[in-house]
Amino acid sequence: MDLTRRTLLKTQAAAAAAAAANVALPASAQNILTGEDLQLQWSKAPCRFCGTGCGVMVGVKDGRVVATHGDMQAEVNRGLNCVKGYFLSKIMYGSDRLTQPLMRMKNGQFAKDGEFQAVSWDRAFDEMAKQFKRVLKEKGPEAVGMFGSGQWTIWEGYAASKLLRAGFRTNNLDPNARHCMASAAVTFIRTFGMDEPMGCYDDFEHADAFVLWGSNMAEMHPILWTRVTDRRLSHPHVRIATLSTYEHRTTDLSDMALIFKPNSDLAIMNYIANYIIQNGAVNREFVEKHCNIRLANTDIGYGLRPENVLEQRAQHANDAQVSNPSSFEEYAKLVSQYTVEKASELSGVPAARLEALARLYADPKIKVMSLWTMGFNQHVRGVWANHMVYNLHLLTGKIAEPGNSPFSLTGQPSACGTAREVGTFSHRLPADMQVNNPEHRKHAEELWKLPHGLLPEKVGYHAVQQDRMLKDGKLNAYWIMCNNNLQTAPNTNNETYPGYRNPANFVVVSDAYPTVTAMAADVILPAAMWVEKEGAYGNAERRTHFWHQLVNAPGDARSDLWQLMEFSKRFTTDEVWPAQILESSPEYRGRSLFDVLFANGEVNRFPVSEIDPAYENRESKAFGFYVQKGLFEEYASFGRGHGHDLAPFESYHQARGLRWPVVDGKETLWRYREGFDPYVEKGSGLQFYGNPDKKANIMGAPYEPPAESPDAEYDLWLVTGRVLEHWHSGSMTLRVPELYKAFPGAVVFMHPDDAAKRHLRRGQEVRVVSRRGEIRSRIETRGRNRVPPGLIFVPFFDASQLINKVTLDATDPISKQTDFKKCAVKVVSAATADAGEQP
Amino acid sequence: MNGECHISSLVVHSRPDQVSAIIERIRAIEGVEIHGGQETGKLIVTLETETEDQVVERINAIQLLEGVLAATLVFHHFEPVQERE
Repeated sequence: MDLTRRTLLKTQAAAAAAAAANVALPASAQNILTGEDLQLQWSKAPCRFCGTGCGVMVGVKDGRVVATHGDMQAEVNRGLNCVKGYFLSKIMYGSDRLTQPLMRMKNGQFAKDGEFQAVSWDRAFDEMAKQFKRVLKEKGPEAVGMFGSGQWTIWEGYAASKLLRAGFRTNNLDPNARHCMASAAVTFIRTFGMDEPMGCYDDFEHADAFVLWGSNMAEMHPILWTRVTDRRLSHPHVRIATLSTYEHRTTDLSDMALIFKPNSDLAIMNYIANYIIQNGAVNREFVEKHCNIRLANTDIGYGLRPENVLEQRAQHANDAQVSNPSSFEEYAKLVSQYTVEKASELSGVPAARLEALARLYADPKIKVMSLWTMGFNQHVRGVWANHMVYNLHLLTGKIAEPGNSPFSLTGQPSACGTAREVGTFSHRLPADMQVNNPEHRKHAEELWKLPHGLLPEKVGYHAVQQDRMLKDGKLNAYWIMCNNNLQTAPNTNNETYPGYRNPANFVVVSDAYPTVTAMAADVILPAAMWVEKEGAYGNAERRTHFWHQLVNAPGDARSDLWQLMEFSKRFTTDEVWPAQILESSPEYRGRSLFDVLFANGEVNRFPVSEIDPAYENRESKAFGFYVQKGLFEEYASFGRGHGHDLAPFESYHQARGLRWPVVDGKETLWRYREGFDPYVEKGSGLQFYGNPDKKANIMGAPYEPPAESPDAEYDLWLVTGRVLEHWHSGSMTLRVPELYKAFPGAVVFMHPDDAAKRHLRRGQEVRVVSRRGEIRSRIETRGRNRVPPGLIFVPFFDASQLINKVTLDATDPISKQTDFKKCAVKVVSAATADAGEQP
Repeated sequence: MNGECHISSLVVHSRPDQVSAIIERIRAIEGVEIHGGQETGKLIVTLETETEDQVVERINAIQLLEGVLAATLVFHHFEPVQERE
């Protein structure tokens, strides 16, 4: 590369950065090269990682992805990219990529205690079909299940939902998003009658204050963080307040950092509500016109196994979700207990700082954007925490308009698009419908052209319950797709691993890499990933974004979509549907599940000739019709005209994503507000139309303690989470050498005083021990995370240090989402004599 | 990874009152150039390195400078050094 070319490339690089930052450079520096010069074919795609939904341009050369860069035309990131997104081109090319099906075998036969051997797709599917049919026959649909993903494409989740609910007639389908944002999703429905935020990312450019509840945005949502900092830099009056249980990069960069004791966020929010009421800052007119007041059942337990003493002792463990109509006076009385003194005592945050925070919400002139992710959602009172932040916005009327925005961030690329909108939860159907509502089931049966009464009404097993039922031998045929649950589920040594290896169970894992979950399975199916298939994701701001298949998957790896649809060919209705249904609808007799679910006249409506000829599409070629379009259009029919309108299929291949509801070709940026949302009746100003009375619920609930707190023996809080370089369990990012080297192994972040008290030095090997299990790791007393005394932070990306052996499987009793942020542990030197038995 | 040239660019959001100090520190890093953005606190920075590892290292170093709010990659290109020589 000669000097001129270096200079030219540098000019191009600078020009790209300047355009992304909206900074003017001298004219000579604005000479952007075109792709021709680099001999790459560039196409758009959303990033594969978090729920931000950045647009990237993907460069392909000779059938291989060789480069990616931030998409200048994408409104979300405007050309910017975080370091993970930067190395996207490398995630598909790890040296241990799975390229053929593997099955545990002994003497040429499937054997649960055998060794993995390469087999053909036919052989693998034959064995799977045999086992699934055996279980269905012996135990019925409730013994079959699937654990899916917020990383599935929209059509993959939709196909899985059809296969499980309508094919196998079970609702034992749950996504890993249960671990991620079930609390947010459930509270949206409980508050507004409709899932997902009313606002969008445009709020970043309108807010006067950002309040981050337990979110380390600078590391976890770095691109959105640049939008916050941009706003802060260009408008000096803007303030950032960050609440966390330890100091990190985001607290460093905030104007106000509030470090609170685990679980006391509940007390802080109730104090702010109390402050708003006491200081006359309630927007009375808004509350009277647009809100109902309810009080939640209290003392609701911790979602542990029912025999656990904490569940036995709890008064409302079995009706945790119930709430009752109440009055403003009752609600005011409830929160009046939360004085600044009490909140300060419970949280450890100085009273003056709490008051400063409360003023941001109370001052009618300050537009507030509240942001949260796992800090609220992975919380034994996660639903209450979500309610409490909505309460603050509803009391003040600071909602559903530019800059006034309670905003739930998401961690997975299609947690919204696939897990929530498609409805891959054990209680949901597409477009916010519920499996236990007969009208909703009937509607789904009609759109799916299936016999009446086919869909099961019983809510299926949620994520943590699936693990428990596998262990207990009640869930026996199980398929895991697109997630690494053995690394990410709680209390895995006692509640997850035993179920996978239970001889009564048959477990299949579809993945691109040999994760710890895959290695614990009986059959491993090699998956195509990201741009190896045509896809669609939905991000945190209701944006649906498509991409084309850009390269072929290696070897025999196939997409989850192909796997689901091809597998459905091996079952006939006679084998899996009750005789009674076939008697009343004889036209369904003897047909394959593929026929009734996918070749149903809807899904197979569009010919392959409609596919853009510039792109490959393996699934459509295999099945003979434009699979993705057919699935999408059938799915879209659930939401059109019901507030979930999606645009025509083709438009998503052009646009950098569109935010639903898309009505008459127009996105909706702020829902529920007249002038922004076409569903709001003229003259009403604002309508929370998800609920029949068009009002939102203010929900009163108290502070309650966590399931487990430190004591004399287990004397430290354990908080788990992520780091910038690695995404979730690291299956992809650990295979990018640059990211691996940047943060190769998990460490225990500990306060120097806590280390000194235990005679531990920085870098020393230690055991992190809870009542459930232990891991070995190393002490870090410096670095980017600075924890207070009494608390440690351990990231969960490292498969050689499975911190979830240590965590507790306590969940929010309403959302069933695990609390990965608080349990009690002790940390001892790995060398001490009492090291005892090895795990 | 030998014999490669990596060109990349970043936007570095900096606290306005610390821009000049940040510029000085960034200029001290090998292979780094600043192309503009001083007025708004959004510095346009290019990196020229021999490996991708160094790209990540440099970003981390810049990220941790006092007064830097965010350092975000925008562009990256690499090719073998010999290709066009």
